Amino acid sequence: MTTARLEVRDLSVGHDGIVVAGGIALRVDPGEILAILGPSGSGKSTLLSTIAGVVAPLSGRVLVDAVDVTTMPVHRRRIGLIFQEPLLFAHLSVGDNVAYGMRRQGVERRQARRRAAELLAWVGLPGYEGRRSDQLSGGQAQRVALARALGADPSVLLLDEPFSALDAELRGRLAVEVAARLRDAGVAALHVTHDAAEAEAVADRVVTIDELAR
Amino acid sequence: MSTAATGTRPPRWLGWTAIVPVAFLLVFLAYPLGRLVATVLDVDGPAGFARQLQSPALWRLGALAAGQALMSTALALAVGLPIANVVSRYRFRGRALVQALVTVPFVLPTVVVALALRSLLGGAVPQGLLLVVLAHAYVNLAVVVRIVGAQWAQHDGSLEIVARTLGASRARAFVDVTWPALRPAIGSTAAVVFVFCFTSLGIVLVLGDPSTRTLESQILRQTSVLLDFPGAAATALVQLLVVSTVLLLGLRAGRRTPARRVRPVPLRRATGVARVAVLTTAAVAATIVLAPVVALVLRSLRVADGWGLDWWTSASSVDAGTTRIGSPLSAIGLSLSYAAVTAVVAALVGGLAAVAVLMPGRARATALVAMVPLGVSSATLGLGTLLAFGRPPVDLRGTWLLVPIAHALVAVPLVVAVVAPALRTTDRRILAVAATLGAGPTRAFWTAYGPVLRVVVVASAGLAAAVSLGEFGAASFLARVGSPTVPVQIVRLLGRPGEQSVGVAAVLAVVLVVLTLTLVLAVDRLGRGLRRGQAA
Repeated sequence: MTTARLEVRDLSVGHDGIVVAGGIALRVDPGEILAILGPSGSGKSTLLSTIAGVVAPLSGRVLVDAVDVTTMPVHRRRIGLIFQEPLLFAHLSVGDNVAYGMRRQGVERRQARRRAAELLAWVGLPGYEGRRSDQLSGGQAQRVALARALGADPSVLLLDEPFSALDAELRGRLAVEVAARLRDAGVAALHVTHDAAEAEAVADRVVTIDELAR
Repeated sequence: MSTAATGTRPPRWLGWTAIVPVAFLLVFLAYPLGRLVATVLDVDGPAGFARQLQSPALWRLGALAAGQALMSTALALAVGLPIANVVSRYRFRGRALVQALVTVPFVLPTVVVALALRSLLGGAVPQGLLLVVLAHAYVNLAVVVRIVGAQWAQHDGSLEIVARTLGASRARAFVDVTWPALRPAIGSTAAVVFVFCFTSLGIVLVLGDPSTRTLESQILRQTSVLLDFPGAAATALVQLLVVSTVLLLGLRAGRRTPARRVRPVPLRRATGVARVAVLTTAAVAATIVLAPVVALVLRSLRVADGWGLDWWTSASSVDAGTTRIGSPLSAIGLSLSYAAVTAVVAALVGGLAAVAVLMPGRARATALVAMVPLGVSSATLGLGTLLAFGRPPVDLRGTWLLVPIAHALVAVPLVVAVVAPALRTTDRRILAVAATLGAGPTRAFWTAYGPVLRVVVVASAGLAAAVSLGEFGAASFLARVGSPTVPVQIVRLLGRPGEQSVGVAAVLAVVLVVLTLTLVLAVDRLGRGLRRGQAA
């Protein structure tokens, strides 16, 4: 698994020229999980979308292993993003969902499928390759989303409140499980949430979004 | 003792109202279609029909019509898809106007569209395949934009973002994620557009040449020129088979939507280059829609020595029509009275059929059965009606009844399509509330559904009137020689030589545009009022 250092320098994020969060600086080292806490509307999701390249920054820079990726297209950054909802591709099987990122990187189909099966087993869903996404529970679908994101071999993984759509008991269990998997993979991860307990359970370091802003 | 469940059910007597639509469809659809089949078999039994089917001319014609319909469908999709993308996903000034404008070609009578296209391109594009394909694509733009646009508007853009974070380029994300989501809607839209173009009559007659004949125009030719009724009936049956097959394929394609939760996706604001592309597409869409209509209006004002109202003032004279068929103005009066009768009959029959969706069990099928005329082309309907009620023992040709009956058949599915969803989305619990407050089943029904029914039935009657005003296929079979409807009069005028004929035809077409758009706008207004009421 590739891993790298994520650095954000003096980043201002927002929509239509309106700043939602400004002057943000942060650093996540290889293998580290950093959690950012903040209430709804504080710009956490916009920050992640900006780092991933989905939304253009108003100002500032994003660096991966000291390489400036601020103007790089989304699909070349190798920054994975997991949303609140699993957002699985409904027309593809679970296995093909997980293999999707590998195929985009030119991995041969059979090899991608084999690796997808391994990743599914790794997230606790062995033998699920042939299932349809609508046959999964919420927790299972979110695990598939994690396997899919890691299957693309990202240098950095961003998690945007990935457990908030699940019930409380499952949320706690899955948070701990995913944190263990991320540490196992050794990937730098940035996890945003409004749930302090979840942040403590998952991360090596917890900061509030206000602390990151200038 | 009454149970709680009876309070949430419509009154029992409502089930009996299905008799009216069922009887109407049996007498005016099933019987004429039966007569059509009987006419084919009368000649030489099934063997004769099989011989008719083996006619190379019939298949050559079918292949030509299918080729034309495929080209028209491809062009409608090629032009319509970018417009659907822009109006259903992006927020920009004038978006609602562009969305409304794109619907205009579809509500305009086909004969009017044909004349409008001829007025715009007549000098540059000769009569024939290209002009027919352009006109078909123009009419069906709204079908593509509305159906595919509705699917695109619900498509969650986050899926493309996920694909892109997994390494897919913008184009790759479209192919892998957007296209599979839209494919079912595009498949069913293509089927509907294909059927429309395959069974086209008015556009083919006004803009076509011998290479663009459809089975529909062949039926008209066999009936009115060759007087070959069995041949026409065989052609109609072949067309019915092709149309049913394509519609069923479209239905199957439409069902293949991957199961996922539908949620409203907010419109996005494009920036930079994307914004320029969005605004350009919107401007091009508005221009495509408006240019033929403007050309038509100008055509009605262009006289030999410049501009003037000559054609408008001569529209009331018999000379401007033909001495045999009376003045163009009398055609307008006749069309309006047919539209009024159609509105009443279609609203009654379609409204009662739609009420069936509230009933339990099999009674609901009435609403589905009332949609059947949708799959029967208007020439087939016209020919069947003529065979059933245009000769003894039941000869109604001397009366004014045949045209409104055929028009009502064409309009009934539309009424059901408007009324049934409105009834389905009305909160059923109001029945129970009214019942607990002491209302009997009938009173509770009117309390729950009365306000909605009043609005949607009036609105759908307006749509039925608009359909009747513009309908050409059935009327061309059934209108009496001396009393043509406006679309029939327009085609007859265009078949006569002379500037005056084209000028007066343009005047009639402009009048139809104004009448049709007024009706559709009034219906739209009623619909908006109802939606506001339901939201409140």
